[in-house]
Amino acid sequence: MNRIALYAAASSLLVVSWAALQAAPKKPVYVGVRVCAGCHSAAGTGGQYDKWLLSKHSAAFAVLAKSEGPEIAKLSGLRTLPQDSAICLGCHATAWSAEDWEKDETFHIQDGVQCELCHGPGSEYASLEVMKDRQMAMKAGLRMPDQDFCINCHIEKGSHVAVLNQPPLDVKKGWPLLLHPLLPNPRPGPVSGLAPVDAKTKGPKYAGVMACGKCHRGPALGNQWSVWRMSPHAGAWAVLGTAKAKEIASGRGIADPQSSVECLKCHTTTQGGARLDGYTLDEGVGCEACHGAGSDYMADAIMRDERSALAAGMQKPARETCTHCHPGHGGSFDFSDAMKKIAHPTKLPPVAQDPRYKTPVRMALRPGGREIYVTCEAADSVIVVDPGMLRKVAEIPVGGNPTGVTFTPDGRLAFVTNRLDDTVSVIDAAARKVVATLKAGNEPHGVLADAAGKLLYVLNTSSNDISVFDIQSLKRIKNLSASNGPWSLAMSPDAQRILVTNMKAKFAPLRQPFESEVTAIATDRAAVEERAVVPDANLMMGVAWHPSGRFALATLNRTKGTVPMTRLSQGWTITNGLAVVWRDGRVDEALLDEPDMGFSDATDIACTPDGRYALVTSSGTDRIAVVDVEKLLSLIGRLPRYERQHVLPNHLGYPTEFVVKHIPTGKNPRAILIMPDGRRAFVANTLDDTLGVIDLAKMEMTGTVDLGGPKAITKQRWGEQLFHNAFVTFHRQYSCNSCHPDGHVDGMTYDIEANGIGIEPVDNRTLRGILDTAPFKWEGTNPSLSRQCGARLAVFFTRLAPFTPEQLAAVDYYVTTIPRPPNRFRPLGAALTPAQRRGKEIFNRTTTNDGRTMPELGRCVTCHFPPYYTDRKRHDVGTKMSFDRTGNFDVPHLNNIYDSAPYLHNGMAATLERIWTVYNPDDRHGVTNDMTKDQLNDLVEFLKTL
Amino acid sequence: MRIVAFIGLAVALSGPLTATEPVKLPYVYTKWRQFTVADGLPNDHIFAVKADGPRVWMGTEDGLAMLDKRTGKIKSWGEKDGLPWKVITAIDVDKKTGDVWLGLFGGGLARFSGGRFDHWHQLNSGLVNDVVYGVAVQDEYIWAATTTGTSRFNTVTGEWAIFNEKNSPMEEIWNYNVAVGNGKVYLAVWGSGMLEYDLATGRWKDYLDPDGEMEIDLYRDDGIIHVIVTGASPADDVVWISTYFGACRYDGRHWRGYYNQDSGLASDFINNAKGRSADEAWFATDKGASAVTDFKTNTWVTYTRDTKGQGGKAVVMRDRGVLETVELPVGIPHDFVINYDIDGNDIWVATAKGLGWGIGEGYYPGLRERPKTPTKTAAVKGGVR
Repeated sequence: MNRIALYAAASSLLVVSWAALQAAPKKPVYVGVRVCAGCHSAAGTGGQYDKWLLSKHSAAFAVLAKSEGPEIAKLSGLRTLPQDSAICLGCHATAWSAEDWEKDETFHIQDGVQCELCHGPGSEYASLEVMKDRQMAMKAGLRMPDQDFCINCHIEKGSHVAVLNQPPLDVKKGWPLLLHPLLPNPRPGPVSGLAPVDAKTKGPKYAGVMACGKCHRGPALGNQWSVWRMSPHAGAWAVLGTAKAKEIASGRGIADPQSSVECLKCHTTTQGGARLDGYTLDEGVGCEACHGAGSDYMADAIMRDERSALAAGMQKPARETCTHCHPGHGGSFDFSDAMKKIAHPTKLPPVAQDPRYKTPVRMALRPGGREIYVTCEAADSVIVVDPGMLRKVAEIPVGGNPTGVTFTPDGRLAFVTNRLDDTVSVIDAAARKVVATLKAGNEPHGVLADAAGKLLYVLNTSSNDISVFDIQSLKRIKNLSASNGPWSLAMSPDAQRILVTNMKAKFAPLRQPFESEVTAIATDRAAVEERAVVPDANLMMGVAWHPSGRFALATLNRTKGTVPMTRLSQGWTITNGLAVVWRDGRVDEALLDEPDMGFSDATDIACTPDGRYALVTSSGTDRIAVVDVEKLLSLIGRLPRYERQHVLPNHLGYPTEFVVKHIPTGKNPRAILIMPDGRRAFVANTLDDTLGVIDLAKMEMTGTVDLGGPKAITKQRWGEQLFHNAFVTFHRQYSCNSCHPDGHVDGMTYDIEANGIGIEPVDNRTLRGILDTAPFKWEGTNPSLSRQCGARLAVFFTRLAPFTPEQLAAVDYYVTTIPRPPNRFRPLGAALTPAQRRGKEIFNRTTTNDGRTMPELGRCVTCHFPPYYTDRKRHDVGTKMSFDRTGNFDVPHLNNIYDSAPYLHNGMAATLERIWTVYNPDDRHGVTNDMTKDQLNDLVEFLKTL
Repeated sequence: MRIVAFIGLAVALSGPLTATEPVKLPYVYTKWRQFTVADGLPNDHIFAVKADGPRVWMGTEDGLAMLDKRTGKIKSWGEKDGLPWKVITAIDVDKKTGDVWLGLFGGGLARFSGGRFDHWHQLNSGLVNDVVYGVAVQDEYIWAATTTGTSRFNTVTGEWAIFNEKNSPMEEIWNYNVAVGNGKVYLAVWGSGMLEYDLATGRWKDYLDPDGEMEIDLYRDDGIIHVIVTGASPADDVVWISTYFGACRYDGRHWRGYYNQDSGLASDFINNAKGRSADEAWFATDKGASAVTDFKTNTWVTYTRDTKGQGGKAVVMRDRGVLETVELPVGIPHDFVINYDIDGNDIWVATAKGLGWGIGEGYYPGLRERPKTPTKTAAVKGGVR
């Protein structure tokens, strides 16, 4: 029996014992809109179902397939198509985050925004018996939302405004249109009008449009289901319930057009044909109205061959197919024009694609010296460059956002970390082909094979650990603990030790100086043997051993996070330099900035084979600093201890003693590679799509290798270049990237408030996917990115003329496209773990453990409303510190919250747990103090899935 | 209980075996070294000991210490060095990574890795309680036995799980110890016996005293001897269990209980157990270090110290009969034994007054026919071995 019919029967016949319900409350599940229609389609209730079918809500999922969808997704920091994105589905579909078991088989996500999104999953209140008593229904889960609930989705979204050029819906004005009250003394009833059919009837049967939609919904088949859903055909049955339809019908002596065979024959796919359970009248004119009953041809294997499908009964629509009903009630009908209107080809029309840049980020020389592998982050490829011929010779597709690259000592295999996919591509270097893919940790970055070719070290920069793989078996054998954001690694000349830089500083308590770590791995044990502490340093990225093996050099920033940012105008609040990491773990630091010119974003470093020079890239000033190593060591050696520890790391005068030259490069040099013969070096000009060739005798860039990227510079690319360049800041101290590496966070707090006395530090916030989370700033006072990146940047950061309007527009555009990585704890549609499932209950709970009703503002979901998990308002959650101007802070979005510690407005909570164990004593940040420890653990596990 | 007392009395009346009989004897540790604050330990109260190659880690009442077996030198770390909490009650070493995991008595859980201490406690993490009695590494999971249940930390995903009365057969939640072996995780629980977690199935099984009596063991070898369990140590395919009322052994089918009155146990008050094999286990009692060295013959060796000096003695017993008494110029540091680790042929004994190192030269398992050890042996002083 049709499940919907079952529900309909249940509506009228089922007697539910309320006492039993109370005794054993069931977990409500989503039953789908057609179950609601079991009562609410009848005119006697007010025709709510018809009203919904004709509303935009019913097509909310389908509209995601419109051509504007990908651009909106891009501006939302999404890498997936809208219909596959949790963020988009969050407002365009019902039960988008529910697990499979929470959805009955009568539920279809394609129904978009349907009854249960607003009224809650219906299984426990759907029966007539319960629904007759509003109080009983509410107890069983029925929600009656107000306008505020709607605003959570209908709030202005920058991405939609930018693309659709439409103001957001005025909910207050729209509310009366949305209302769908029950009539007094409602007379509920199901969709009616289907003629009875003998179950034994042979021949093809109508399967219903949802059966077709299982295959015909994605872009691979032209989004055909969505195209249909947005067409008038999808509402053909529902319009019969309108006043106009009734007027027309009345003129023909028909009382109820939805029950009239005469009307239904043209307003539905079939009224009397044999059918499967999935078919319902209310689909209107579906696929089978034109293509014939589908039961015999809808199998995938048949549909893949048109002749087979036709042989099995599929029809190709002809003029008669349409003229059978069109024109309907007057007017004219142009067949060819109509066919254009409803065209739904399997192949989507070609659309202009954004140019695909290469964005080279890392290089490795294949043993033997004849090939350089260049990872190209934006192209998802590795480009092979012939260093002799100075040309690109091959491009090997790898995983998403390739970053690090290394070879086995014999040059047979190359390994490439794919930061987006959390994988490592194994390349057969001779065949230039990926032969295996390894699962790594979160956002693998640096990668290195040991000297014996036995072990592979992979730095997982988001999960803060180092995966160690056995190269022969390609199995992960263990994880080593790194510090915060392991980034690059280098092996000592004697192959005994590997040093790992960590990009982010360790967490520092409020207003305390921070420090970074260089992690040392003993290769004989493949274990961490030492952790060198680098005081006051952050953004440690590049690392290279000196050929002597006595020390290594690593790049760093020295950001003075404990002084107010207003001091930027006096210079040198953010400084850039390098660390000398001695073999015994001691560290010296020196700057590469000079009084009138910063060396922002020191990114990579390499030593010449003779050890005389170290070349350091500044990706923010497009230069390479040539460091005379002996002069640097001599300086360090002659300084008294105090000066060495406290003056050298901050002194702008010293670099002139050991930086012997600056070599201009292309845009955004992020990686440098010196050839073994010591004659040439290559620099990856990341935002130029070139490799610069450095003549080490002349210390000049003498040529470039074109990696084949597009030559046109888009607005987005221009914005990316501006974002990564320090030209706009005083003496080029820093770029946007200096505080937002990878468009994300540096894990630090800054005092950037107007009083400028350094007592109101605020946590740095991510830029990934933020456009639709306005307002900005912890106090929520900046309504737009252009204000944030323009006027505010000028006032508090650059203290100079800000970007030009064109530059600002480009930077803003780029910032909006900085993508948010996929959630590592729950891919879309995946089942929750038991702990996550329990945590979800807590997140959505309305009562405390002892049964007290929680106030609305005490519930997680009230302020952290999906899909961004923010209501975009300001709330006082009791975290105001004595010097804070206000206690009202912007509600942060929670997407990928596991990846942006520390937490709270001033970053005082190092972990999610501390938000509630320490900083919520009065239940002002949600009612949480009744929770047991295991409940808090579960809540944290759920938060990590958002 | 009466039956047990009778058997004990009968054995005692039978008297010691004579020296002339051909007797197979167990190995006796005759070479000992002692380490105390005089040798560089931060404190003499040693709560935990764990050997990791040449490194022997000690958790003391006032910090972490590491003895280098090769040099005899001790290095220590206190709160000034970054140790999050000075009282260390449990240690385990991740053999893959070399990381040292520390259970802190009131301070939570710490990891010592490459010279850096990382700290998890009940305010900054999902650890259920800061009073940690036991810690065990199980692949990528860290188990921590606390006073309010046991926590399991997934070092890869960061997920914390709590096992307590809600999701395991834990009648009381005061967890004394945790150990991993034989595909199982064993919890020693005050008042809830031993709990066994099957890693393959994720299911719990509880082992409670079948007679339910707190003061007596009504039926011999019918199950675990008492519900106040202090330690469980899997070895080969058996698990050795210590309680404050005796010890026992379980091979998956049969139980065997031990009391001071019918075995070589120095005392029924046992702080911990360490199994070496299915035939040998060491029990940390308040009156000495007792080892059952041959399960089949119920042969024991108990080490005690002299009240004066560094000397001590080892008494070999079968049932309650004394087979041999060996005078030791240097014995265990103190009779209040808290913890052990077995390190190849060597044995490490954590006591209330320093660490003892039993040097197992010529160690053999089980019994062997040998001449009785002369009562006087060459002295091995602290310092160079």
